[in-house]
Amino acid sequence: MQLLPKIGVGLAFQAPLRSTVEDPGDDFDFVEVVPDIFWTDFGPGLSPRHLDDPEGIALLDRIRRDRPVVAHSIGLSIGSAHRFDIEHVEQMRRWCERFRFPWHSDHLAYHMAEHAGREMNVGITLPLARGQQTLDLLIPRVREVQRRIPAPFLLENNVYYFDVPDAEMDEAEFINALCHESGCGLLLDLHNLYTNARNHGTHPWALLSAIDLALVGEIHVAGGMELDGFYLDAHSGTVPEPVWELLEWTLPRCPAIGGVVFEIFGSWVEAVGVERIRGDLRRLKRLWSRHQLGAGAKLDRTFEQASIR
Amino acid sequence: MSLVRFQACMARLITDPDFRERVRSGHLEELAGDLTALERARLCRIASDRGLDINRTLHKGFRLGKLRAMLPLTCEALGPGRLTREAAAFWAQHPPTSFYFISEALEFCDFLAARRLRGVYLDEVIAYERAALALEQPGANEPIEHAVRFRHEPAMLLACLAARRRPRAIPRRDCTAIGTRGEDGRAHWRLVDDG
Repeated sequence: MQLLPKIGVGLAFQAPLRSTVEDPGDDFDFVEVVPDIFWTDFGPGLSPRHLDDPEGIALLDRIRRDRPVVAHSIGLSIGSAHRFDIEHVEQMRRWCERFRFPWHSDHLAYHMAEHAGREMNVGITLPLARGQQTLDLLIPRVREVQRRIPAPFLLENNVYYFDVPDAEMDEAEFINALCHESGCGLLLDLHNLYTNARNHGTHPWALLSAIDLALVGEIHVAGGMELDGFYLDAHSGTVPEPVWELLEWTLPRCPAIGGVVFEIFGSWVEAVGVERIRGDLRRLKRLWSRHQLGAGAKLDRTFEQASIR
Repeated sequence: MSLVRFQACMARLITDPDFRERVRSGHLEELAGDLTALERARLCRIASDRGLDINRTLHKGFRLGKLRAMLPLTCEALGPGRLTREAAAFWAQHPPTSFYFISEALEFCDFLAARRLRGVYLDEVIAYERAALALEQPGANEPIEHAVRFRHEPAMLLACLAARRRPRAIPRRDCTAIGTRGEDGRAHWRLVDDG
């Protein structure tokens, strides 16, 4: 995995958090954005395919004056078997050059499929069959992303409410093989991991113990909610205590990690309240200081200065 | 090739409840062809998985949320029950294609208009919101003008829906709203009384 700068604690941008992001105080060190919300995608093969939103770009430029911005895309659908979206990768390359993201990421899943000659977007990340066939699909694609974009590339472990049965590999084997063979890092979403464990009756610690934590470039934490007997990765609240416990255990064991990000959906911001969100961010910063800065690492101010020029 | 088909079938289990029901009840004709035996077995098990219900709920919520965000007045004019029914009928004919839902919202307007639904104000609201969306969509250049015919006082009608109130007894006014795209990318409207 390529080396990541240690930039600390981040807040995932949502429109209702705009004032918080523009007035962060000391509660967080960087901002993570879904770049896809700042452009319009007219579809594969069209020219221009992507149209950037000038207001969004101006906002990102303002944020970058104070602190780094990291990109967490939703558009690649890297696991889609019917096509690899090079045009999306090229759009990300342009944005990585424009905004100098210290790293960028997407999801280890697929949401685009082809049916009856048309592309279908399910709008949610679907699980991949964990086996050699899928690795053979993914590894060259990850390498192609890395060939085109110099910034380190991470893939996020997926949340799934059903799994693809009869997998050849367990989740840790699959992730370790993918990252080791392709060179990408892991965006370890602890709330996804916790959600899967609750819904499928597995043990989160077993998976955490089996993942090679040297591959972890970033951690996500979030809150969720119950619906119809399932626990949802709804990004609907503050971080639940079991996820804090997972983080306490994991963070000191991730030597290559660049940052930890708190996620909440915009529609929940008012109900949860900015003060509680800031409270979780401060708690994350205390953990980061204890487990990452305490080990002799220093917040990468060099990168910050470089990124805001 | 079979992985392409497998993923498409898995996606359809979420987007197409009738397809899921056929697979769940053992009508596997649509799984014939180039799928492997393992892929067919996996799809059959997934079709019966309760977790698929959650995915279906999330998928519908995501899609409906986009329509509500882009067509708030039309959704309000339809009311929650009819919106759900019409969206389901629309989705049965239009699989989701993109994260960018402007084209889906425009198609939904056309679908509703073609249905000639009952409602004193509905056709005026749909036509207005469709025109506004077409004018404001990113990259829109042509046409430069959209004309929308109203039979009722537009300002009162639209304000009522924007305030999430059911419009009642809106005064009659035969007029045409002419919409143009301003330099700010927003739709700008002027009213011309008919006759």
